Amino acid sequence: MPESIIKQDFLGFGLGLRTDHFEHILQHQPDIDWFEVLSENFLVAGGKPRYYLEAIAEQYPVVMHGVSMSIGSTDPLDMDYLKALKKLSNDIQPKWISDHICWTSIHGVNSHDLLPLPYTEETVNHVAERVRQVQDVLGRRILLENVSSYLSYQDSTMDEWDFLSQVAEAADCLVLLDINNIYVSARNHHFNPLDYLKKIDPRRVQQFHLAGHSDYGDYVIDTHDHDVPTSVWTLYQAALERFGPISTMIERDANIPQFPALYDELRQAKHIAELTFADSAQAEFHTLSQSRFGHQSQTSDHKVDNKPILRVPS
Amino acid sequence: MSRLAEIQQQFMAYLLSDETNNDHNKCQSAMQANMSQQAGISADIRLAIYANAYRIRLKETIETDHEILGRYLGDDLFDKMAADYTRAHPSANQSLRQFCDALPDFLQQDLFFKQHPIIADLARFERRLLNAFDAADSTSASFSDLQAISPELWPNCCLRFHPSVQIFTCSSNAVEAWQALKADSTPPAPDYQSTRAWLLWRGQTRLTEFASLTAAQHALLLGFIQGNNFAEQCEQMLEWHDEQSAPMMVLQTMQTWFQQGLIRAVVSD
Ligand SMILES: [Fe+2]
Repeated sequence: MPESIIKQDFLGFGLGLRTDHFEHILQHQPDIDWFEVLSENFLVAGGKPRYYLEAIAEQYPVVMHGVSMSIGSTDPLDMDYLKALKKLSNDIQPKWISDHICWTSIHGVNSHDLLPLPYTEETVNHVAERVRQVQDVLGRRILLENVSSYLSYQDSTMDEWDFLSQVAEAADCLVLLDINNIYVSARNHHFNPLDYLKKIDPRRVQQFHLAGHSDYGDYVIDTHDHDVPTSVWTLYQAALERFGPISTMIERDANIPQFPALYDELRQAKHIAELTFADSAQAEFHTLSQSRFGHQSQTSDHKVDNKPILRVPS
Repeated sequence: MSRLAEIQQQFMAYLLSDETNNDHNKCQSAMQANMSQQAGISADIRLAIYANAYRIRLKETIETDHEILGRYLGDDLFDKMAADYTRAHPSANQSLRQFCDALPDFLQQDLFFKQHPIIADLARFERRLLNAFDAADSTSASFSDLQAISPELWPNCCLRFHPSVQIFTCSSNAVEAWQALKADSTPPAPDYQSTRAWLLWRGQTRLTEFASLTAAQHALLLGFIQGNNFAEQCEQMLEWHDEQSAPMMVLQTMQTWFQQGLIRAVVSD
């Protein structure tokens, strides 16, 4: 299938929409290219969350990101949840809808965590079939995001990247690559993150997540409560080289700084993309130039890690 | 059962069990048997990362939803409540927004916490505040909508309320304690002498508001919510007011409700 049919437009540089920033965004209209909203936070009838969401969705492109689809579970798909997602998407017209390649609930109990799947033929078929059903209900391709993981199963017969690729191919869905999650899992499972990037089909990669983590030396936990560290910026640059300009956002879920600090951090992402494509083909440069983000001055005491970008050892 | 289903069942059993369960070690060994040997950290630690994340996420949800209850209890009792509730009520919802819905009933029935009924009342009050916060939106009617109706039809008029409108009743001074803690002062000692009623709603600026109700106001509001008409409610007010002042009291109270945006529609038929 030709690339143009699978992927949707490049949106530029975005941020996760967080309650703490609602007022700031409406007041200052920052030139962020787009916002990602956590679907579950807005599956409510009304009030402030819906008011702000709808006001912001009128002014910015938005994408919906969920955590409860439990696409890998052996429970039946939750049709009520899918209908609620579809209703929300009718209300705010997201550019796309994503969730994670994992499972969250079994026998009706929700762990509210993104739990890992065994990477087997059986799981590929199971997940792909369910993605097709979800795509039927939602009437569009969804994006599946790789999760951070801390254990691996004896049953697994393939690497995580092969698993993700096979599901995406079999289900004909798109991929959201979380660069931080690749780094975290690489550290916890001792693989080379570049091997991961090499195996993912560029035609299916629609979005990147960037985030921070907590490094405990022997292992790393995906906490989303820190700035994006140098290790993740470095891997981001490698991902840009492999996949070209991809809609990128910073995912900050805890210890959330003031909006201008995140704005500055997102500037770093754009800066790296500009450096990466400075000498590249006209097409990539043109795509990147569609982003209008980054021209405003934001006042912030926040220091962005401005160390020079290191090359990942390959 | 498929192998995938078996792994998921064993993983969840491990997450739900903790040191207080007799079969905790069994659940842990079952999961360890599913895991491959990896360099670096041990299987125990790998599993514990998931177990901790599970408990912390749910505890943080209780903290966010029940901030004042948390202050009332203090850290140790709050930790006990979070652990006991999480054990008794695993989440069955897609959103964490509903995770604590069963907390008031849990606190009312739990052998330890039910010794202090004000604790369950505090939790129930905070649930009501949340319900008012994200209830459905609706336009509001105004007093002129009532005036537009011919006065001879007024006796048959009924009211429809904004979806955020709720009544909270309790037999403790939970709301007074809530207000004190919110203002960073010491809550009054628990008092179970009288039943109290409160009206909760979401105001025009989308802020959650509440006000205490006298017995007459409570009966008036409850009657209208239950579908009684103006004439029936005037009659009910005779318990507190004489025949002249009862209709005035009803009209004045309704006027306040209109101003507060509590009334969605006036229905006459
Ligand atoms: Fe992510």
